[in-house]
Amino acid sequence: MSGGFERRRGGGAVATFTGFEADLMRSLASQMVELLRNEVAAPRETNDPLEQLLDFSGPTTEPDDPVLARLFPTAYPDDEEAAAEFRRFTEGGLRDTKARSAAMMIDTLEEAGLPTELDEDGLHIDVELDAGAATTWLKSFTDIRLALATRLGVEEGDEDFWLALPDDDARAHVHDIYDWVGYLQETLVLALSR
Amino acid sequence: MPVETVRPEEALVLDRPWATVVWNDPVNLMSYVSFVFESYFGYPRSKAEKLMFEVHEDGKSTVSSGSREEMERDVQAMHEHGLWATMEKAE
Repeated sequence: MSGGFERRRGGGAVATFTGFEADLMRSLASQMVELLRNEVAAPRETNDPLEQLLDFSGPTTEPDDPVLARLFPTAYPDDEEAAAEFRRFTEGGLRDTKARSAAMMIDTLEEAGLPTELDEDGLHIDVELDAGAATTWLKSFTDIRLALATRLGVEEGDEDFWLALPDDDARAHVHDIYDWVGYLQETLVLALSR
Repeated sequence: MPVETVRPEEALVLDRPWATVVWNDPVNLMSYVSFVFESYFGYPRSKAEKLMFEVHEDGKSTVSSGSREEMERDVQAMHEHGLWATMEKAE
């Protein structure tokens, strides 16, 4: 298993992943891109300036999907109108930024040698991130962890519950992945903080 | 229309009438939360960690204050970083 990220000379961070780990990260990032780009509430993308001006389709209500609701929280809990305005002006851009960050993670892994179809054993992927890319990865790790935690129903101080799950419970497996992404994120924060 | 006089303690509030509040969640790592406060707001590490502990221990912390426009920018940035942030009128 990867030892996580280490500080890179000149800023940023480096890490070596097994093919399996890199493939898993790509799969998580792809799901994030799909989730962010697919929900109906996302504003339409258009290059026509007239259509852009006439476009009132920015979302004004909280997304139905609990993961999206956590990624785009209501900014004004006690003021529905202000909350709708805030959402209309921010959610489209935030979705786009988050989707692009996740797509960048995929590109970086593939440029580092992860093949489209992983079919060989013993493959190692060396990832090198400059300071900017490392910050983008931190945000994507966060989005992925928020998504996994929301689907699992992770709560404060519930570690014993997850540890007690039998191995054949799918949730135990997903929670292991959630922990692993958390470990990668922790090492990445450390690599950037020293 | 009556002319309103502004008392000194009110003037302070009028100058920074809005606040960005970050709420505790069971997911975000303590190290990451304080990294965000340090890198986004440019706070010294000691202040970033103090605010992070407030979020963790008290359930929430007021991390910045200013005009409504500035605070909407901060809340949006916190959402971009995956932190659960809301707008609040300063007391």
